[in-house]
Amino acid sequence: MDDIFTIIKAVLLLTSAVLVLLAALGILRFKDDLERVLYARIHILGVADVACILALLVLGEPLLAGAYFILVPFAAHAIANGFYYGEDK
Amino acid sequence: MSILTLSEYILLAALAIYALASVRIVTRKTIGMGLVGLAGLSIAVATILILINNLYQIAFCRDIALALVLLGPVGTIAFARVLRGNI
Repeated sequence: MDDIFTIIKAVLLLTSAVLVLLAALGILRFKDDLERVLYARIHILGVADVACILALLVLGEPLLAGAYFILVPFAAHAIANGFYYGEDK
Repeated sequence: MSILTLSEYILLAALAIYALASVRIVTRKTIGMGLVGLAGLSIAVATILILINNLYQIAFCRDIALALVLLGPVGTIAFARVLRGNI
């Protein structure tokens, strides 16, 4: 019988798998002609990012998870900022 | 097969589906969509590589994932600055 930590790890990995699948579904379901759909997709991207950070932590990669946790808000803001000034305004 | 290995395989399949969805977003017409798709693709591939490293003990996958995790967002930020214009 697996010990309790293995079961907790498995449950966390399954949780991130569900979040990733929901993000895949969400990122595709919006139609392109919807106004400002990019901002919604950036939000969905954030959900998938947090799920991957959770998975990286469970898989024993705290350096990767920490680095990505710090970098990804800047990337998301840069995309929204670039889109607003470059294509939306 | 232990429950942990099974959940790793399930996460691998979920990430593959998410990667395909991200590639589909990349092909849309605006540059912003390309950036969003690539940002999602880079983290999906990096996590897949870490899973492969765990499941099959292929060590160089971890190095590639480290490069992807660090350089993915940096490249996205750089390209978004170009998209913003007036540089």
